Amino acid sequence: MTNRLKAALTIFTLAVLASCTAKGDDPGLEYAPQMYHSVPYEPLTQIKDKDRGEWLSNREDGLGEFYNSNPNNEYEQNVRVPVAGTVRRTSNNVLPYRLGKDDIALAAEIPNPLPDTPEILAEGKRLYELYCDHCHGNGKEAGKVGVVFAGVPSYSSPAQRNLSEGHVFHVITHGIRRMGAHGSQISPEKRWKIVKYVKTLQQQ
Amino acid sequence: MISKNAFTRFMTACMLVCCFLFSGVEVFAQKDQVPTDEAIIKNGESLFKDWGCNTCHAVDRKVVGPALAGVYDRRTLPWIYEFVRNSSKVIASGDPQAVAVYNEFNQLQMPNHDLEDNDILAIMAYVKNTEDNPVVAAEPDPNVGGEVVAEEGAIPSEYVNIIIIGLIVVLLLILLVLAIMIRFMQRYLRDKKELSEDDLEIVEEKFDLVAFIKSPTVIGIVTFLVIALAAKNVIDGLYMVGVQQNYQPEQPIAFSHKIHAGDYEIDCQYCHTGVEIAKSANIPSVNICMNCHSAIKTDSKEIQKLYAAQESGKPIEWVRVHNLPDLAYFNHSQHVNVGQIECQTCHGEIQEMEVVKQFAPLTMGWCIDCHRNTELNTEGNGYYDKLVEMHNKVNGEKNKMKVEDIGGLECSKCHY
Repeated sequence: MTNRLKAALTIFTLAVLASCTAKGDDPGLEYAPQMYHSVPYEPLTQIKDKDRGEWLSNREDGLGEFYNSNPNNEYEQNVRVPVAGTVRRTSNNVLPYRLGKDDIALAAEIPNPLPDTPEILAEGKRLYELYCDHCHGNGKEAGKVGVVFAGVPSYSSPAQRNLSEGHVFHVITHGIRRMGAHGSQISPEKRWKIVKYVKTLQQQ
Repeated sequence: MISKNAFTRFMTACMLVCCFLFSGVEVFAQKDQVPTDEAIIKNGESLFKDWGCNTCHAVDRKVVGPALAGVYDRRTLPWIYEFVRNSSKVIASGDPQAVAVYNEFNQLQMPNHDLEDNDILAIMAYVKNTEDNPVVAAEPDPNVGGEVVAEEGAIPSEYVNIIIIGLIVVLLLILLVLAIMIRFMQRYLRDKKELSEDDLEIVEEKFDLVAFIKSPTVIGIVTFLVIALAAKNVIDGLYMVGVQQNYQPEQPIAFSHKIHAGDYEIDCQYCHTGVEIAKSANIPSVNICMNCHSAIKTDSKEIQKLYAAQESGKPIEWVRVHNLPDLAYFNHSQHVNVGQIECQTCHGEIQEMEVVKQFAPLTMGWCIDCHRNTELNTEGNGYYDKLVEMHNKVNGEKNKMKVEDIGGLECSKCHY
């Protein structure tokens, strides 16, 4: 009898332990969960369930230990969009780019603030390969995504090859025709570097 | 007989009428003004490609702009010249045809092309030639572009399986042959009369399975194995408490990294914009998805969710996969930008994953292990020159400077 009890106990323990490991939708058992979960607002995470972790809660507001969400924000998010018109501080005192989407003729006049150096060109190439080449390919033939997206022009076609650096910068920032705006993904300085490299692709 | 003749006559008459009708149309169409000269067609073809007409137009189907077949019938040639050179002007003038086509194609304006009348006419000649002699699309070769290339020198996994199965079959055959040999020997020995009592006993011995299982040796071995296995499981299980390796939650949108990062080779940073400059890599917002999905797979049920999110402004609540405990600090830019670590080092073969899974255990031991083994690349960074020199003097040239040598194991680097 005792033998059977021992065997059953072992199997039960194994089953319990097996359920501790994470797989699929289950993150597994947490060790000292109070150390895992952030007390301050945690960006890119939000636990809106007020009862989550109630079983070990000693919060003064009586909510669950793991509740982590800001009810004052839109959609109770922990992050929020900067106030409209917010100006980003830059280390090199570059003023923010203020031209709107329709000011493209004006934008074409703006010169590239960066000098022509091999380092900047190399960095521009690297950034081009991160952000542009899946659509624009080598600048002549569309990349893998560009083929599916369709309508990706060659930089060196007569209609494109003489577009100014300011124009290219503006197009990256706000998009043009079917191309989306990439200003939120790429900082102005990086955009100007990419422009430097695109300039060489126009001449190929 | 008579009726057949009448039918034939009627048909001939019909055909004549048809021919007359169509030829009449051709007389008034501008088709005739489009040259059919070989050289002009050739010139038109190269212009069509050089000026990038083919990026938005095809002859036989809509791409981004309308199909060009028959455009010389739909519009007058001067209209075409004007539109190609400055479409916005034509649209602004309120030309009904121009406005209609502008609205039909999502108010997408064709860029200006500084082409002469002759050049545009040459392009028309090319379009007409292609329309009249359609190119039959070649069947894509199934052998091209597939997963044909196997790693050189490595044995493909299917062969490994076949080899193993073959070996097992050979072993079983050997066992069978041995059993048959024993049988024969027994029978041969039994037939011999001059065997002693002891020998006979051995020959006649029957294998008793129950006695064998109940023998203390077997019970001992089996008990030991069971306990050892159980203990290993228990210890492994205890070590996995608090480790979320293999966590693979279902996401609100069935986004596949395999398609995006693998098949289409979109760089990780295109969407995870913070990875080089910030603590967290960032989850892309809908506007980044829309850069491509404004036009790609617009009918898919999953992509419709993006449109809904964009319309309502309600962010998509992706389920966080990697939950580093609050007690540990980790910074992406420090590793990706400064340390030049590949994303795959910690996230696994993410470009193969349909649903993202936590690849690394994210335990402290795992962090420390990497900090102990990773050599520093200080090339081009003068800050480290002297340090590297001193390190090499003390530890010898062979022991390269590792992360641990510049404080990679300090408690307060990650815990504060």
